[in-house]
Amino acid sequence: SEDLLDTQPYDRYTETIYWTSEKNAVAALNGCYAVLKEDGLFGGTATPLWEETATPNAYNYDNSFGFNVIALGTHTASPANPSEIINNRWTDSYRGIGRCNTLLAEIDKVPMSDALKNQMKAETKFLRGLYYSLLEMYYGGVPLILDKPNAATQAELPRNSREEVVQQVLKDLEEAAAGLPAKYSAAADKGRATKGAALGIKARVLLFEASPLINTSNDAGKWTAAANAAKAVMDLAPQAGYDLFPNYRTLFLPTNENNQEVIFDVQFKAPEQTGNSFDLIVRQFNTNAPLRDLIDAYYMKDGLPITESPLYNPAKPYENREPRFYQSIVYPGDTYMGAPVTATNPFKITGYTFKKYGIYDKEAGGAILNAGQSETNYMVLRYADILLMYAEAQNEAIGPDATVYAAINKVRQRAGLVPYEVPAGKTKAQMREIIRRERRIELAGEGFYYTDIRRWKTAEQVLNATIFTSQNQAIVKRTFNPTRDYWWPIPQTQRDLNPNLTQNDVY
Amino acid sequence: QSFAMNRQLTSASAGRVGGGSQQPPLSAASHLVNSKEQNNKMADVPVQGRVSSENGEPLPGVTVVVKGTNVGTTSGADGNFTINVPDGKGTLVFSFIGFLTQEVAINNRTTLSVTLAADAKALEEVVVIGYGTEKKVNLTGAVSTLGMKQKENMPITNASQALHGVGGVWVNQAGGKPGQDAGSIRIRGVGTTNNSNPLVLVDGIEYNMNDINPATIETITVLKDASAAIYGSRAANGVILVTTKGGKKGKTEVNYSFSHGIQRATFIPDAVWDPILYMQSKNQALRNEGKTTVDYSDAQIEEYRNGMATNPYAYPNRNYFDEIIKNGYLQQHNLRFSGGSDKMVYSLALGYMDQDGIFIAANHANRYSIDLNATANVTEKVKVGATIKSMYRKYTEPAQGTEAFVNRFFRALPIFASYLEDGRYGNTVFTTPGQNAIANPHMMLKEGLNEHASVRTLAKVFADISLPFNLTYSANLGVDKLDGASDDLNGASRQFNPYMTTYHPLTKVPNFFNPTPYSYVYNQNNLNLSAYHTLSWNQKLAEVHNLSAMGGMSYTKFNTSYSSSQVFGYFDNTLTDINAGSINPQVSGRRTEDVLLSYFGRVGYDYKEKYLLDATIRRDGSSRFDRGNRWGTYYGVSAGWRIDQEAFFKNIGGLSFVDLFKIRASYGELGNQAVPLYSYAPTVNLGFDYAFNNTIAAGAAVTNAVDPEIHWETTNTYDVGADFSAWNGRLNLSFDVFKKRTTDILRQVNIPAQVGGLTGPQSNIGVVDNDGYDISLSHRNTIGHFKYEVAGEFGYVKNEVVDLNGARQVGTRRITTEGYPIDSYYLYEVEGIYQTQDEVNSSAKISNAVRPGYLKYKDQNNDGKINGDDRIITGSTIPKYTYGFNLGVSYKDISLSSFFQGIQGVDLYPTANLATPFNNGAGVTHEWLNNAWTPENPNAKFPILTTSTGATENFQPSTFWLRDGSYLRLKNIQLKYNLPISLISKIRLSNLGVFVNGENILTFTKFRDFDPEKNITQDNFYEYPSVKTFSFGINATF
Repeated sequence: SEDLLDTQPYDRYTETIYWTSEKNAVAALNGCYAVLKEDGLFGGTATPLWEETATPNAYNYDNSFGFNVIALGTHTASPANPSEIINNRWTDSYRGIGRCNTLLAEIDKVPMSDALKNQMKAETKFLRGLYYSLLEMYYGGVPLILDKPNAATQAELPRNSREEVVQQVLKDLEEAAAGLPAKYSAAADKGRATKGAALGIKARVLLFEASPLINTSNDAGKWTAAANAAKAVMDLAPQAGYDLFPNYRTLFLPTNENNQEVIFDVQFKAPEQTGNSFDLIVRQFNTNAPLRDLIDAYYMKDGLPITESPLYNPAKPYENREPRFYQSIVYPGDTYMGAPVTATNPFKITGYTFKKYGIYDKEAGGAILNAGQSETNYMVLRYADILLMYAEAQNEAIGPDATVYAAINKVRQRAGLVPYEVPAGKTKAQMREIIRRERRIELAGEGFYYTDIRRWKTAEQVLNATIFTSQNQAIVKRTFNPTRDYWWPIPQTQRDLNPNLTQNDVY
Repeated sequence: QSFAMNRQLTSASAGRVGGGSQQPPLSAASHLVNSKEQNNKMADVPVQGRVSSENGEPLPGVTVVVKGTNVGTTSGADGNFTINVPDGKGTLVFSFIGFLTQEVAINNRTTLSVTLAADAKALEEVVVIGYGTEKKVNLTGAVSTLGMKQKENMPITNASQALHGVGGVWVNQAGGKPGQDAGSIRIRGVGTTNNSNPLVLVDGIEYNMNDINPATIETITVLKDASAAIYGSRAANGVILVTTKGGKKGKTEVNYSFSHGIQRATFIPDAVWDPILYMQSKNQALRNEGKTTVDYSDAQIEEYRNGMATNPYAYPNRNYFDEIIKNGYLQQHNLRFSGGSDKMVYSLALGYMDQDGIFIAANHANRYSIDLNATANVTEKVKVGATIKSMYRKYTEPAQGTEAFVNRFFRALPIFASYLEDGRYGNTVFTTPGQNAIANPHMMLKEGLNEHASVRTLAKVFADISLPFNLTYSANLGVDKLDGASDDLNGASRQFNPYMTTYHPLTKVPNFFNPTPYSYVYNQNNLNLSAYHTLSWNQKLAEVHNLSAMGGMSYTKFNTSYSSSQVFGYFDNTLTDINAGSINPQVSGRRTEDVLLSYFGRVGYDYKEKYLLDATIRRDGSSRFDRGNRWGTYYGVSAGWRIDQEAFFKNIGGLSFVDLFKIRASYGELGNQAVPLYSYAPTVNLGFDYAFNNTIAAGAAVTNAVDPEIHWETTNTYDVGADFSAWNGRLNLSFDVFKKRTTDILRQVNIPAQVGGLTGPQSNIGVVDNDGYDISLSHRNTIGHFKYEVAGEFGYVKNEVVDLNGARQVGTRRITTEGYPIDSYYLYEVEGIYQTQDEVNSSAKISNAVRPGYLKYKDQNNDGKINGDDRIITGSTIPKYTYGFNLGVSYKDISLSSFFQGIQGVDLYPTANLATPFNNGAGVTHEWLNNAWTPENPNAKFPILTTSTGATENFQPSTFWLRDGSYLRLKNIQLKYNLPISLISKIRLSNLGVFVNGENILTFTKFRDFDPEKNITQDNFYEYPSVKTFSFGINATF
């Protein structure tokens, strides 16, 4: 009669029989990548684009994913607080970490070639390092767990120090870099982690470590380490084929995915899979509406800020701007999808929307993509970022040497500034401002600025400010508490489940 | 209910103890007269007399009628009567509640003395219990029975609705959605945080109440205590036994009933529909929360004001609730043929229901059913029978589902244009942040389709064989086949998600709500097989010892499978089949198996029907657990003492009015296996794919933590009760005190995300108590032609989590933790509303956006911060008290009955669209506008008017928004008139009643935001509104 009661599922494997073939192991690794698409990380509706709305670059009027309360400085750890991102980034990062830990714990059982096994381990470590880097950059120290998920042994672990987490991130990334190819020969492998990706994320982690938020003593050694890490990616460029993509506008379109500028991206596919909703939010929701402050930050076409360029006419602020402005922003007076754009129509919130990461432009027609129907890959790391990281770190470590000029000029050249060269003879401080503005413009709307203003410790100025529409109408006054808001709170839901998790200051 | 069980159980259903069919005595209470005509030409002769009981006491209030006429009277206090008999001839009919009706031929006498015999029927009434029947008076467990006769003619669309008001049973019917208006049922509290639904068996086979025609139900028995133990591992939440109508020996009967009702929403939020007021108040709300730009400029408001007069298409002034909500209707036809001979009895019933809901489209339901019930005596020893119940039902919903529609409907703004001049769907001249996809309610209802349809058939055959030595063998085989989409899986059978586009009223620029239509087809196939057989025996020894025993075995296998397909690429909204689509086809499917193997037995003993003992045992093996944990043994023991049967009691003078006085007690151990299938097995799930370079690569992941040691949840139930009946059933009282302790409750445990972001395991954690009492009391009486009945049921239950291994399950607004009821509210405590900036500055606050007019939260731990640590546990999501009462009166052929039902001690937390103001672009209610804080109105009911998404500080989970969800409602009131036999017999009718009903027409509650009988686990209002029904109909028997 026991046999009568034995039933089994037909749509899933039991774990005991899973780790037996290469195919299964590869699928488990793919499952580690799939976490990248979660809404707490780089996917969901448009999480990375919404992250821009926690900065002076953009505004999210309906608080999508809780980014607006972060911008306002009114977010809390409370479970009912609408800052979903604070809850979800925590959970999704650990979801990725857990899958990586499972794979690393089980893969040695699987009969398969050592070469593939080692590459897969390296990919897994890259992903684990990436996921942990998000935790340490937003929350500070977190529980550092490297074993296969086990509620009995891991549920009550307290937070490790941030330094311990960072050390592990660097270790994972270095081991990943050692085991990963510079590029993949098979087309079907494009999108997998590469040596350059591991080195590039390492550079981003070290840059964060070197920045004023962490490096309070301004230890030049940390800047040097960051510069060296970025340089390692630049040195890899010939072998990996890295270069800037010539067309800044089409760099962000699905037709040019996996181009030479991509170092690591999240590979979306629709409609066979649920994609992201980038096109929907820029076209219709307008929940990452650019702010006047960002518009004013763009250069004129002569490469000078509006405050310095003779070309700027406050009555016609959208004339004679640099090419990246027109390639990134839709503004009053522009044409969008065949229709004229005014200050209140169709983009009522600020008068602007982002063109970047949307497929729509001046022309009418084209597919109307709704929620989950966009397949544009999101670039977690692109070569221009590496160049700017290098320029920043090298300038801080050494000062504005020729390599600093070369790196930033390369970005400005592709941008189409005429002249593109930064005038010689800038001081370190002047160069710092130039690099910071360049980062803001070049990466505008891509979700990196929030972490930049935190690590530069400028958030307490730029986020303690009123934000404005295209008509210079005030929208709301934001606040930023420097003793609290540089770090996100540990989500209260997690502290409810694990009382050993301590809270960050002042939350 | 302990009253009004006028009908007996004749269905050949669950294998019974002792077998044999109990044919009931004829009903005493009805049909006083037959079809003879009255002859008014005769002279009246007075006849006098006296009516007394068998022990010689005079009987007042006895109805005396001259047979075949309307001539009648009532006996007086001394039992005497006088009646004028036409011509002094004929027959007098004496009837009185609790006594057998007696006919006495006058035979030209002028004085008569009549003795009425007590009607033993009440004492002979039997009740279906698990795998058998029991005389009701000899029950030793806490068992409620409901004769559906009592609910006759009510517009019941689902059997669960009939259980409203049964003692200890909480029925919550959230919404009146056509085709899906079943209530959730909780018996004596909530014992587990998992599935708390009781086990429902129809004629002995596990089945869904929604898939039977309520008109074919004879009785419903609710097993509330250890009496459920015979169902072992599925019994912990209580057991409901539904017995359907069978045939009766005798004359063939044809019964037809019809009712037609009008339905209206009970409660719709009082939204602001004045466009100017709406725009101004939205602007005010934005300013109040610190915004310096508002949604509608003064120029725009002025433009709108002028536009309303000249271009109502672009500048509408409309009330969408009036436009979209109409009166619904509900009509039902039921036709039943029944009859039988010594060899065979049968019943054949046909049912039809047609219902159109209160929205102007996309809420239609139909139900067609056939029920056949036949039993034949093959030989004197062998009886065979079959029950076949088949139902085809379907209902429609808006394309995206009812909840999604109501969500958007409650976001409609007065400035939306419904249609443009050319008939296209309109949107709005001014965009409103949060309203990106203009969800025109007309469009959402009228475009696309969403159909649910299922055919479900329960076929059961049985054979009862009488064997020597008083043994009876019973074999039963049931097959339950479902095709379509069951409610459990919430699958639409056919869904077409249409193109939806609205157009700007002036510029005609389109807004694409859904530019990518798709079609979706879901097909579920379930086959559940149940087989059980029993051997039973009973014996009377030495005339005083009654012994019975039953043993049996059952095997149940549930097979489910589904497949679904979906395809995109449609030209328009006309062709909706899968074949008409062209791109991106997607499929999915799954099948499952679930097996339960059981051995069970019952022994009963009574001594002279005075001392009663009953014991049951069941051993269940379930495929839901791993080998080693899958077998569980459950048992129940109960005992009763019929004090009324004791000689000493009978000898006490003056107590002869007592019909029944019994005390009883029971103890049992019951189980619950309600965990998802394969919960014990650590699995790697598929479908976590990733597309490298636009090529999809299969992905797999472990997603759940697993506890391989999970096993049965066990409920220990104690019950002590008493049943009392007096004056021939005129007064009935039952009282039960119970204690239920559920240990090793199964629940999905939340674990911190640091454990791999895994969903927590299903695990046995903790102990939950449900303690309380049930009372039922009824009184009915007849005074001449006047009858009345008063009956009430009352249940109290206290739910408490006793032990959770120190763990807490915390959700957004709820917590389950030791010392409190399951799912208590977990909220900030509000101390008031900030009046001044100084007050704001000097206190701890939830964020630096707080300003005067905002809510002030109490800093419980005085750490100067308001955070999660400041929440308190309060309120309850489980009602402490459930009650119901009937009031009924009748005079001659007219009767008026009413049924009230209520719950007390439950809290609701209304939130989101129209519960909170301007929720993400939604509108606001007058309630909010009129009662918000302003400096001039410092003692306001609500905080300052803001948008709830913009000023989240005021809309944190807090005690301020917790509402008392108690209510009392007039569930039903019915006025019925039975036409005189003398009239209808001419057209060969034996009974013809006409009736009018009112359902849900009156509700007493403090809850003002929505209908209080709402889904308690869902805090928003996104459900089909509850309805009130006014209906009329006829009920005719040929």
